[in-house]
Amino acid sequence: MKLREIAYSRSGDKGDVSNICVFVDDPADYPLLVERLTADRVRAHFGGLVEGDVVRYELPNVHGLNFVLDRALGGGVSMTLRVDPHGKSFQSHVLDMEV
Amino acid sequence: MPRRASGGTLAIGSGSAYANDRLAPAAAMADSGRVSYIGFDCLAERTMALAHVRRRRNPASGQDERIRRLLPLLRGYLAAGGRVVGNFGAANPDAAAADFVEGLRALGLAGVRLGVIRGDDVLDLVLAQDAELPELGTTVAALGDRIVSANAYIGAEPIVDCLREDAQIVLGGRLADPSLFVGPICHELGWSLDDWEAVGHATLVGHLLECGVHSTGGNFEDPPYRVVPDPHRLGFPLAEVSEDSAVVTKLDGTGGAVDERTMKTQLYYEIHDPRTYLTPDVTADFSQVRVEDLGGDRVRLSGATGREWPATLKVLVGVDQGYRATGEISYGGPGCLERARRAEEILRAHLDELLDPGDHVRIDLQGMNSLFGDKEGTAYPEEVRLRLAVRTESEELARDAAHEVELLYFGPAGGGGVVTSVVPALGVTPAYVPRELVTLETEVVTS
Repeated sequence: MKLREIAYSRSGDKGDVSNICVFVDDPADYPLLVERLTADRVRAHFGGLVEGDVVRYELPNVHGLNFVLDRALGGGVSMTLRVDPHGKSFQSHVLDMEV
Repeated sequence: MPRRASGGTLAIGSGSAYANDRLAPAAAMADSGRVSYIGFDCLAERTMALAHVRRRRNPASGQDERIRRLLPLLRGYLAAGGRVVGNFGAANPDAAAADFVEGLRALGLAGVRLGVIRGDDVLDLVLAQDAELPELGTTVAALGDRIVSANAYIGAEPIVDCLREDAQIVLGGRLADPSLFVGPICHELGWSLDDWEAVGHATLVGHLLECGVHSTGGNFEDPPYRVVPDPHRLGFPLAEVSEDSAVVTKLDGTGGAVDERTMKTQLYYEIHDPRTYLTPDVTADFSQVRVEDLGGDRVRLSGATGREWPATLKVLVGVDQGYRATGEISYGGPGCLERARRAEEILRAHLDELLDPGDHVRIDLQGMNSLFGDKEGTAYPEEVRLRLAVRTESEELARDAAHEVELLYFGPAGGGGVVTSVVPALGVTPAYVPRELVTLETEVVTS
């Protein structure tokens, strides 16, 4: 099952750091999200897009996780030559993960 | 004297999320009669850099470019005493103030008090301190005359100072996004700016309003899973703020939605550690926020708190990086991928001769790998669009590089739809300065 079927997300940028928050629609799926969507798996899914660490914060109140991807925007919105300098599309890329 | 007066409620609305935002939702907010304050966030990391590019070309510019068009839309609201707080100043607060004064007088609104906040320009300070630039792994001095600007994120204190002096409009340069709302909330509800828990709560409200339609269905839809009504006319959000909670909603009759999902996605947008969201006003803690969907496009938020403000202020340092060239060309039909890759080889051969060794070159195939890199198992595309991006010191080389994409009309068969551009590349990168070294000044002028 793709994450997109049970969750939604948003990505944002500050300098060269991207954050992606992910929330499940049904609170019953939250344990699954915490178990399957590890920082290591997100790191692997984004591959060469991320040069730094990936840190995960749990948000049990809102049944979500927040991922912080360091050195993930090719130098940041005003520096990078990437097509999507903000990493707006990262929120869709994470939802393509199998859970 | 209690530091926090109790019992009050303030209704405050969003009027803008960035420099080129729509004006109609701001006009609707002003005409709604629902709010007594509207906060206008006019900046982002990139827009601040672009404002400095404009000011370098013309020293009388660098302010928000919408002021003349916006003011007539706010006429009734301002005439009735409605208040406005915004970072309209961008790279030039005095130019923004001049636009406001002139525009107000043209509308027959004489005697409006306008608070101007100066002092976010800390270029001299970062030069004197030789501030570190952690994302670049160097310091200001090492970059010499490439350093073209430095603006500190400014908090709610000078905003409150202006409001206490009965300013109806408050503007500045790099006023921090949530502070545009924290100032009015703390001023009106009698919250002291060192009541960290209260300021943390006010910062949550500012965070949810400063991105405009990001709270009401913008950057949200993903059919069939996420769909909102009338996405072509999303409303801006407003909040009814009280001591223990805030209800975020939007104007009746506007498109979009304010619900549990739109609120949650914006709640952690551009937040890193949810316990430690650093702003000039507070170390905000959003880790225990509760989101309660009341139905009818109303969501109650509570549980935000905060600790003492950070000892440093974040500064955006503008770095001259020469010029950025881009060029695109499309290939379609059978073999489009092989032809695009052949075009890439041709392009690289020319650029190797043309550019200097330190120049940056990136080539993507849109439709294949431009957003997430090459992936195994990607289906063969119907079409791909080659995109070249180059950063170089020389404007002439940038133009020549872009022109090489146009010359691909004479490369592999069937290349079409060339678009090129060359723009100044002004990067922004963070630095941090001790807050006590940043001297702010406020002045109230009258239209």
